[in-house]
Amino acid sequence: MSEPATKSPGDTSAESRDIIRVENVHKVFRGAKDHRIVALAGVSEVVARGEVLVLLGQSGSGKSTLLRSLNGLEAVDSGRIVVDGRDVTDRKTDLNALREEVGMVFQNFNLFKHKTALENITLPLEVVRRTSRQEARERAERMLARVGLADWAGSYPSQLSGGQQQRVAIARSLAMEPKVMLFDEVTSALDPETVGGVLRLMEELAGEGMTMVVVTHEIGFAKRAAHRIAFMDQGQVVERGDPQGFFAAPQSERAQQFLEQIL
Amino acid sequence: MLDALQQHMPFLLAGLWMTVQVTLLGICFGTLFGTLVGIARALGPRPAFWILGAYIHLWRGTPFLCQIYIVYFVLPQTGIAWLQFDSFQASVVALTIYSSSYIAEIVRAAINAVPRGQVEGARSVGMTSGQTLRYVIAPQALRMVLPPLGGVYVIMVKVTAVLSVIGTTELVRQANLVIQRDPANIMPIFLVVAGLYFVFCYPMLLLTQWAERRYGGLHLEA
Ligand SMILES: Nc1ncnc2c1ncn2[C@@H]1O[C@H](COP(=O)(O)OP(=O)(O)OP(=O)(O)O)[C@@H](O)[C@H]1O
Ligand SMILES: [Mg+2]
Repeated sequence: MSEPATKSPGDTSAESRDIIRVENVHKVFRGAKDHRIVALAGVSEVVARGEVLVLLGQSGSGKSTLLRSLNGLEAVDSGRIVVDGRDVTDRKTDLNALREEVGMVFQNFNLFKHKTALENITLPLEVVRRTSRQEARERAERMLARVGLADWAGSYPSQLSGGQQQRVAIARSLAMEPKVMLFDEVTSALDPETVGGVLRLMEELAGEGMTMVVVTHEIGFAKRAAHRIAFMDQGQVVERGDPQGFFAAPQSERAQQFLEQIL
Repeated sequence: MLDALQQHMPFLLAGLWMTVQVTLLGICFGTLFGTLVGIARALGPRPAFWILGAYIHLWRGTPFLCQIYIVYFVLPQTGIAWLQFDSFQASVVALTIYSSSYIAEIVRAAINAVPRGQVEGARSVGMTSGQTLRYVIAPQALRMVLPPLGGVYVIMVKVTAVLSVIGTTELVRQANLVIQRDPANIMPIFLVVAGLYFVFCYPMLLLTQWAERRYGGLHLEA
């Protein structure tokens, strides 16, 4: 299959409207004593450009595994995942090139501990994008200002609060100018008083039209920022819908139980 | 007595020079080789982990004296041309193997101590595994490696004394030759020998301490 080099804005083919397509994806982990753990059981999902999709579900339902398979951090067993026209599940696909366009933010920040906030952002720019030192520095400073940390450029991660570290991590991803951002429970490890700043930043991003797939337990965020909710259970999306409908009247029994637990 | 010592000094210094040469070569090759083995064990495929692990534990679990005999007396018996060593080469080879078996484990532990999440952080912004090793893992592992590495180096200097058994003219062997000629001065001669070892080891000890102060755990909590 060949892909057109450019697409006109009026092109409404599915491929250009949907930036992520997940088709019947399976993933099994081998646990202790070769015990089989089915993490993804034929999951399918589509994300449109500019859409904010919030993934909900019980612990162990496969949210992280699905998210991590979108940028190839987790290799799946079968099925197909296409992100921005690149087949992630094809062995020949250059995953490093794909990951430049798909930002990912983790629960534990995963900042480089030996680098300052600024250097955490300049390193990928210089190494991956081959940006000049000067330009990388300027872009990193802009990014830090954007996440409200202009004064913390020279601080090491260990000198920053959890919320500040997470904002640096978001800035590090944003500096690569990704087309999609993936968030995996990015506020779960934060002190309550620093959660708000991170969520506000994510809402701003959503408002600017960034395509986002967000795994979170922050129902408030989901209600305010999500365009769509996908509820996962046992490795599949079992219910999808707009936030108002989903939170007011969940259809599936599993979603009803889930919402009773967390609300 | 001082006259006699002055007379012996050139022999002893020649021995020290041999000790220095053998040690530095053994340490250099051992560090290079040990680092590669350590990286392969930390980041390579499962089979590499087991095979190299067996190799490392084999050498760590046998006395250095025994290893020297193997390298100098046993390997040549195989008749393979490039396993025929003179005593100098055998000394360097034995030290390389011995030091690499310790250094490999130090390097592996240091790499494993860099949180896996940082690797995922690096990979998810598009860095290759090579770039991740070079820019993320190596700089942090290096800081953790320096203090224990200094310790291994000091031990390597001291085990070279055993190399006299295969006729390497290092410091202890030279001292023994001198004592055979001048048994009356055995005490001052060995005091000088001990002093010479100390002069060689002390800078390494200082380096180790410096690395510990400078890098010991800095910014590296998980
Ligand atoms: N690397 C792994 N090795 C073995 N099993 C794994 C691994 N990663 C995930 N699993 C298992 O796969 C299943 C799905 O895990 P996943 O992390 O995707 O769930 P989740 O929905 O993100 O849960 P949580 O809300 O707790 O983060 C779980 O049963 C989990 O134990
Ligand atoms: Mg998870």
